[in-house]
Amino acid sequence: MPGATLSRWTMSYFAAACLFLVIGQGIMVAGYGYPFADVDAPETLALVHVLAIGWLGLLMVGALLQFVPVLVAAPLRGGRLALPVLLLLVSGLLLLVGGFGTMADLGELSPAMLPLGALLLVTGFGLAAAMLAATLVAARPLPLPARFVGLGLLALVATVLIGAVFALVLSGTVASDFATTLLIHGVPSHAALGLGGWLTLTAVGVSYRLLPMFMLAPEEARGTSRLVWWAGSAALALVVGRITWLVLDDSAAQGPLAFAALLAGIATLLYCADVIRLFRERRRKAVELNIRASYAAFVALFLSVVLFIVPGARAAAGEGGAALVYLFVFGWLTGLGLAQLYKIVPFLTWLECYGSVLGRVAVPRVQDLVRERRSSLWFCLYYGAVAAATGALFAESALWFRAALLLQLIATVGLIAELVRARMLSSVAEPLRFPIGAPRPHLFLPIARQQE
Amino acid sequence: MNPAPRELDVRPILRSGGEPFQAIMEAVSGLKPGQGLRLFAPFRPLPLFKVMESRGFGHAAKEIEGGDWEVLFTPNATGTPVEASADAENADTWPDPAEHLDLTELDPPEPMVRILAAAERLQPGEVLFALLSREPIFLFPELAKRGHQWAGNFDETRTTFRIFVRAGKKG
Repeated sequence: MPGATLSRWTMSYFAAACLFLVIGQGIMVAGYGYPFADVDAPETLALVHVLAIGWLGLLMVGALLQFVPVLVAAPLRGGRLALPVLLLLVSGLLLLVGGFGTMADLGELSPAMLPLGALLLVTGFGLAAAMLAATLVAARPLPLPARFVGLGLLALVATVLIGAVFALVLSGTVASDFATTLLIHGVPSHAALGLGGWLTLTAVGVSYRLLPMFMLAPEEARGTSRLVWWAGSAALALVVGRITWLVLDDSAAQGPLAFAALLAGIATLLYCADVIRLFRERRRKAVELNIRASYAAFVALFLSVVLFIVPGARAAAGEGGAALVYLFVFGWLTGLGLAQLYKIVPFLTWLECYGSVLGRVAVPRVQDLVRERRSSLWFCLYYGAVAAATGALFAESALWFRAALLLQLIATVGLIAELVRARMLSSVAEPLRFPIGAPRPHLFLPIARQQE
Repeated sequence: MNPAPRELDVRPILRSGGEPFQAIMEAVSGLKPGQGLRLFAPFRPLPLFKVMESRGFGHAAKEIEGGDWEVLFTPNATGTPVEASADAENADTWPDPAEHLDLTELDPPEPMVRILAAAERLQPGEVLFALLSREPIFLFPELAKRGHQWAGNFDETRTTFRIFVRAGKKG
């Protein structure tokens, strides 16, 4: 039967993700990792993976467990794996970070933690990708947003496998020429596949569905949106192709990567044109905060990608274009993630709590679960702090960077507190808060099955 | 099999000096998936052919007694397939809807709230019809949980989702 129900463990994924976001920003405020250490120092690697896997990865998997069934109007396959996957990913990440931490503290290889962490992460992400892919395959032909998710899952698998090879080399478990070559040349590809392929293509796909829904804009797939998909596919194929080429010839040319970056730039421009068009064609004139905050993320996406392609700007952005990568991760991916959480968490809570009594008793509106005015201040502070932190990285001022990050951390904690209030229904006026027959949601655990 | 075409006679409206377009569009919106519309008019309604074509209907017009015209609009086969709850058999034999709701301009999840509230007001076996701007994915399991049957699909332009809900026994 068509239709989608609440994903049982999505809130637990979100809670873990938010926790890792706070931890990640907290250790940056404390002066750990880049720019206080090198871009490729173990400290930076630990920090990057707390954010990329702990925050963004868990956020995205949790969101997809809920929204892939919505995208294809079919139930999730293998839903019982959701909790084991969460446990695998969290324990794998902790081992991985522990492995990097050991390297940083002792300057030694970590023979056990890195490979074991990689094994758990490969298993966890592999199972997550299998559940989501099986759901997609069963629902073919796929609408365009779901095809973006499919592409993102391919990129996820590639990212994780390459990462696992890195872990094997860094721990001294494997010392083959190919694996070493991959580690020396493949790090930018690993990052591009993870941040650009997996996280960005998936976010783009889901946004093509969610933006029209929240703004009442026309939803049919446009030619430009299809072009974004094709450009994204081609860029992905180029990056994966070059990595395969490295196996045969360790002097593989940089040409494919430059061309992939160009394609990514074109895809970004087309995507930005699409989101502007959706905004113009919306039938809902007053847009909610989650939409306004998402458009701030689109600005960050546009700036970070376009400046990354301009050689002078990238050179000024520090080692590996660090300032622009920062803007991409915190302005675009994290900004969009927080903006959508701000809508999704109240909505899912509302459905969980009031779904079974809708139409029978008076219930609050979804927007009654949050305080928009206060939250909009947090979002302003957040994006202001991201802009300041990016500027501080360009200016190579570690002190200003930490100061900006402290503000960014405060804004994030403020927004997370808002999400907690939504879960606790604390903003809902008393007579409507707990109608008779409505279950009380737990903060981040599912309601027991018999109550559903 | 497709349900029998719905009939609409706009001659009385025109005779009394009224404008039948609104009535025609309401009738079209209320058509069940796959259902046609048989229209009676005092002239051959040429402009309407264009409008209906854009909504995915073909037409066959013939002159009848007294110089009036009978036009049969039939949906083109391009409409999306009908989805239905597992227990919704023979949805084309359901009674005519007791309630019509146009929810196309409402933000989600308001359409879901309105449909569930309207379904509460129905007597067992009664049917409601609603138009939405998107497929109400989260509504389907809730209807099934409450023992209501439903059948629906997108219209030919894929911009409006049409759903019939038949109330189950009061639970």
